Amino acid sequence: MAFDALFQPIEIGKLTIRNRVVSTAHAEVYATDGGMTTERYVRYYEEKARGGCGLAICGGSSVVSIDSPQGWWSSVNLSTDRIIPHFQNLADAVHKHGGKIMIQITHMGRRSRWDGFDWSTLLSPSGIREPVHRSTCKTIEEEDIWRIIGDFAQAARRAKEGGLDGVELSAVHQHLIDQFWSPRVNKREDQWGGSFENRMRFGMEVLKAVRAEVGDDFVVGMRICGDEFHPDGLSHDDMKQIAAYYDATGQVDFFGVIGSGCDTHNTLANVIPNMSYPPEPFLHLAAGIKEVVGVPVIHAQNIKDPNQAQRILEGGYVDLVGMTRAHIADPHLIAKIKMGQVDQIKQCVGANYCIDRQYQGLDVLCIQNAATSREYMGLPHIIEKSEGPKRKVVVVGGGPGGMEAARVAAERGHDVTLFEAAEALGGQITIAAQAPQRDQIAGITRWYQLELARLKVDLRLGTRADEATLLDLRPDIVVLATGGQPFLSQHPEWGYSENSEESMVVSTWDILSGKVAPGKNVLIYDAICEFSGVSAADYLADKGAKVEIVTDDIKPGAAVGGTTFPTYYRSLYEKEVIMSSDLMLHKVYREGDGLVAVLENEYTGALEERVVDQVVVENGVRPDEDLYYALKAQSRNKGQLDLEALYAIQPQPSLSETGDGFLLFRLGDCTAPRNTHAAIYDALRICKDF
Amino acid sequence: MLNTILPILIFAALALAAVGAGRRVRLWRQGRPSPVPLLKGLAALPRRYLVDLHHVVARDKVMSNTHVATAGGFVAAAVLMILVHGLGLANPVLGALLLAASACMFVGSLFVARRRRDPPARLSRGPWMRLPKSLMAFSLGVFLITLPTVGILPPDAGSWILALVLAAVVVWGLAEMVVGMTWGGPMKHAFAGALHLAFHRRPERFSSKAGGEGRSTGLKALDLENEATPLGVETPSDFTWNQLLGFDACVQCGRCEAVCPAFAAGQPLNPKKLIQDMVVGLAGGSDAGYAGSPYPGKPVGEHHGNPHGPIVARQGTALVDAETLWSCTTCRACVEECPMMIEHVDAIVDMRRHLTLEHGNTPGKGAEVLDNLIATDNPGGFDPGSRLHWAADLNLPRMADLGQVDVLLWLGDGAFDMRNQRTLRALVKVLRAAEVDFAVLGDEERDSGDVARRLGDEATFQSLARRNIATLSRYRFQRIVTCDPHSFHVLGNEYSELGGHYAVQHHSTFIAELYDAGRLAFSPWKGGSVTYHDPCYLGRYNGEYEAPRRVLEALGIQVAEMERSGFRSRCCGGGGGAPIIDIPGERRIPDMRMNDVKETGAELVAVGCPQCTAMLEGVVDASAEVRDIAELVADALVARPAAAAPRRSADKTTAEEVI
Repeated sequence: MAFDALFQPIEIGKLTIRNRVVSTAHAEVYATDGGMTTERYVRYYEEKARGGCGLAICGGSSVVSIDSPQGWWSSVNLSTDRIIPHFQNLADAVHKHGGKIMIQITHMGRRSRWDGFDWSTLLSPSGIREPVHRSTCKTIEEEDIWRIIGDFAQAARRAKEGGLDGVELSAVHQHLIDQFWSPRVNKREDQWGGSFENRMRFGMEVLKAVRAEVGDDFVVGMRICGDEFHPDGLSHDDMKQIAAYYDATGQVDFFGVIGSGCDTHNTLANVIPNMSYPPEPFLHLAAGIKEVVGVPVIHAQNIKDPNQAQRILEGGYVDLVGMTRAHIADPHLIAKIKMGQVDQIKQCVGANYCIDRQYQGLDVLCIQNAATSREYMGLPHIIEKSEGPKRKVVVVGGGPGGMEAARVAAERGHDVTLFEAAEALGGQITIAAQAPQRDQIAGITRWYQLELARLKVDLRLGTRADEATLLDLRPDIVVLATGGQPFLSQHPEWGYSENSEESMVVSTWDILSGKVAPGKNVLIYDAICEFSGVSAADYLADKGAKVEIVTDDIKPGAAVGGTTFPTYYRSLYEKEVIMSSDLMLHKVYREGDGLVAVLENEYTGALEERVVDQVVVENGVRPDEDLYYALKAQSRNKGQLDLEALYAIQPQPSLSETGDGFLLFRLGDCTAPRNTHAAIYDALRICKDF
Repeated sequence: MLNTILPILIFAALALAAVGAGRRVRLWRQGRPSPVPLLKGLAALPRRYLVDLHHVVARDKVMSNTHVATAGGFVAAAVLMILVHGLGLANPVLGALLLAASACMFVGSLFVARRRRDPPARLSRGPWMRLPKSLMAFSLGVFLITLPTVGILPPDAGSWILALVLAAVVVWGLAEMVVGMTWGGPMKHAFAGALHLAFHRRPERFSSKAGGEGRSTGLKALDLENEATPLGVETPSDFTWNQLLGFDACVQCGRCEAVCPAFAAGQPLNPKKLIQDMVVGLAGGSDAGYAGSPYPGKPVGEHHGNPHGPIVARQGTALVDAETLWSCTTCRACVEECPMMIEHVDAIVDMRRHLTLEHGNTPGKGAEVLDNLIATDNPGGFDPGSRLHWAADLNLPRMADLGQVDVLLWLGDGAFDMRNQRTLRALVKVLRAAEVDFAVLGDEERDSGDVARRLGDEATFQSLARRNIATLSRYRFQRIVTCDPHSFHVLGNEYSELGGHYAVQHHSTFIAELYDAGRLAFSPWKGGSVTYHDPCYLGRYNGEYEAPRRVLEALGIQVAEMERSGFRSRCCGGGGGAPIIDIPGERRIPDMRMNDVKETGAELVAVGCPQCTAMLEGVVDASAEVRDIAELVADALVARPAAAAPRRSADKTTAEEVI
């Protein structure tokens, strides 16, 4: 039986998990009302359980004490009994579908922020500053230690009373327990530091207190790191020693293992490996821990594919696989495997939109699945067929917004035609996927291609739709998702011309798509600081160009998320790309065979020049509005959306009005340049009621 | 002159027939003994002929009437002819009756002739093409020689030449109809057929006056303890004598051929040819005289055999090639259609037993499946401890914990199959909604032995069966319910010979009962058009055609029936280990079945068998979705209006999902 290794139940403590697939703890940023697991939170986890996930460990970094701030990331607050009834709702919702749910509990020690909410004084074994959050802290006192140990026990009691199936003690990501473990930050000379036993003491006292509080019939696990990857941190051998030491108590029911520490920007990127990483890059670390412990080991890091999961489990490297981002992309992953619909699984592409939002304190969302965590609003993962009239829907544009619109309309049972001027679907995703280490972003398109074929959408590729062609089809609804073009004409001094012979600048799209051959000595001016600029820099450097990337922002790639800019930087620095900031592109002119780019320092106004053979400008997208304005006046709704209905996830009123002609909706970059998620979200919420 | 010749001709014919009969009986008696009550059988013959056989023949009204006229006319004419012309009882009343009988027969033979004018492919040609003429010769000859008896013609009408011609016609008629009956002409079917009915090895398959449709579909157990019993059939003489008799009764009407899914798929099997090959074997010779459709892809005339020679050659050719035997899906369509009550499936499994048990030569994946069954008690070779993995979140009650329940839910090996697990989960949901007191054996359950038995591995079947029976004997339950018709059949019909007697129900039967008892309520059907595929092991094997339709009706579904449905349902191709052996053909059986579905325009085909589900779902680009009845029921469940607030499950960690 295919995937049989996934579907073997397993005992964790006295709890039976129905399969080997876990949604491991991550910070959701959904716990509102002071850290309570309210409806959005419950429905998010219920969807995973409904979709067949065996075990969900919720609440990454849920706090046990009031001096570990939860507000920054809207994490779950277990420092009060007020949480118990909320947990009961959560547990019932998951149990109803046969899933199990535990929660990660922690005190984050120094790894937080102090400058808000209760203005907490952060704590750490030796008061050493944490660089990622720029957080300073006090050296923890004996009284604090015992108070926090007691808080852990009380938090575990609340989880148990709330009906959850277990707790996972976070001793990873440089939280308080592993701050005590790591000699890098624990410089104490009392009974809480120094020798191995002393450094282990805090975690051990937490474990003993928790176990004493909850007894034997409640799961208590630990999440640990497999290797901190810091020369002065905990090595893999250290971690094996630590795991074996805790395992020997017989009080730990499972270990979750993660590769890499994360108290620097560069190590943080390892923790949630983006698309530039190979599959399961740190499995060997988890397998190493499994060698020395007697209880089940869970490992999650870049396990996205059921075949990959099967291979890992069959190989016996670990006992359970974490497929956390995989579940954010598709909470029905397990159900689809069981239904024999593996091809219909929306696979995580490692864009890390989810985690990069989380690090900014924003709610976790999926770049390609707009329904995730919006279940409570009524946004469906599975689109039901419409009971209303069958409509002729024409979608223009095969980028993410257009593909989603076509998919949703086809799932509703309508007759859908999609026009795409290019020879292939994908839109800007196709361009983005050309950069080194970014090819996997094309997975978004791959899924849509399969779905649109399955749904028998009439694809007119290589066909630019004009007004006459559209109206010939006698559509009931026209959805425009025509995107836009690079906005190079904003400043005439840049010397952009539509005539490529004359134009002084080219766009990052020209470079990435291969339309324009890479120069040898290239200046990239990046006014946007998202992916396109650094991708073009990486691409050009990869082709052997000497590259300088210049921005007027604080640094190149400033708007690329926290788990992704480090992998760009690794690549750019290695290829000797020069990164310059605070400079605006003032002017480009031709001199001899070359080009001169004049740069202006934003703060001094001083001008400097670069002599290059190619100037690449990234200045965002200018919406393509021609078709919209050609159709607008003829459409029944004049192209307008009812915003109240849209934001309330209600059907557009125009859908239920009768009349001749067609309805016109536009979404994505052809309205205003935003991102992939914005285009897909608009497509879903507009089209779900077609 | 005729008055002198006729008695001589008639008694000579009867004497020759008697010699032929003796010879034929000797051929049959080459077979092994079979304990059937001879006198009781003969006494039951009229009823078996007039009720059971007629029931089958009457499915074709024209042919049935033709046969009544021809055969009835012939039997009456023959008896009267012996009295009137043989013994000289020239009574005008008898003469008039004889005229009427022969006239009736003549009319019948006209219809036989009409049928032979452009015969369908399933009918054998050869000697059968002359039969209508022979029938006419006999009836016309008898009619004409009787005219003087009743005084319509003077006793010496016509010349001696005319008398001679008439005598020749009578000789032709007698030769075909009387002598040919025992010496091997087309009329052999009447002689062998009558005795086959009387001495049938499954007397229980016939109806009785007490009522109740007779049904006997379970395979007969091999006596593995008795060393004298051959392990299956190697040579024609290894069949029992009444099996040989049964083969000899074949009328080559080809109804079996017309319904055989393997034949239709172009696999090398034709049940009619197979039976004829057995006839060749019992008499010795080659198949060159066979005048019907061949095994697809196999020319006629290359096979030969004798009563004591092997049916399947270890190398080269003998009477039948092994792949012919392995093409059978054991769907019983041939047996169901056979007007002569021949048991094709028994014969095929008998021969497979020899190939598997004596040669160890089960082709395709057969040997692997049997090895798996021996090692793991399930055909897939799965860890026997994983039978309940699919239900880890369902907290299924176990027999081992309860000891006694109302319903024992038999899972079958579909428990290891991801597709069937959905059916099982749906069924559990339904049982829970109806608050049925049930439990499962869990890891104590073993494969029922169905596949092993039909692949010829009787030893593995009996080993599995005895161990299952031992397990079941430890528990008390009212009935066994299963969603697997193969388990249903084996537990209900084949375990009894080994000492296991159970009331077994297919889940559709049980669900229909629950619904009728008001224990289930359904929301109205919102889907499209639905057809229903009768699983062979539920329908033809067990006669359950109504309950699944009753359930679908209760769901608000109006079934768009396929042309081949009910007892004429076409097999999915999944039975008898056929997909495991996988003999190539020109088409795939499930593709043909899904085409049947397509012809109804249905968007969904409801099934009630894991094997059918797997086969039909395996069809590429199918026009219809395949769903088990349990799934449709689970989807439609709503709280019963009469029921109190939905009972909160005792253990709240029980999944509601079917997936």
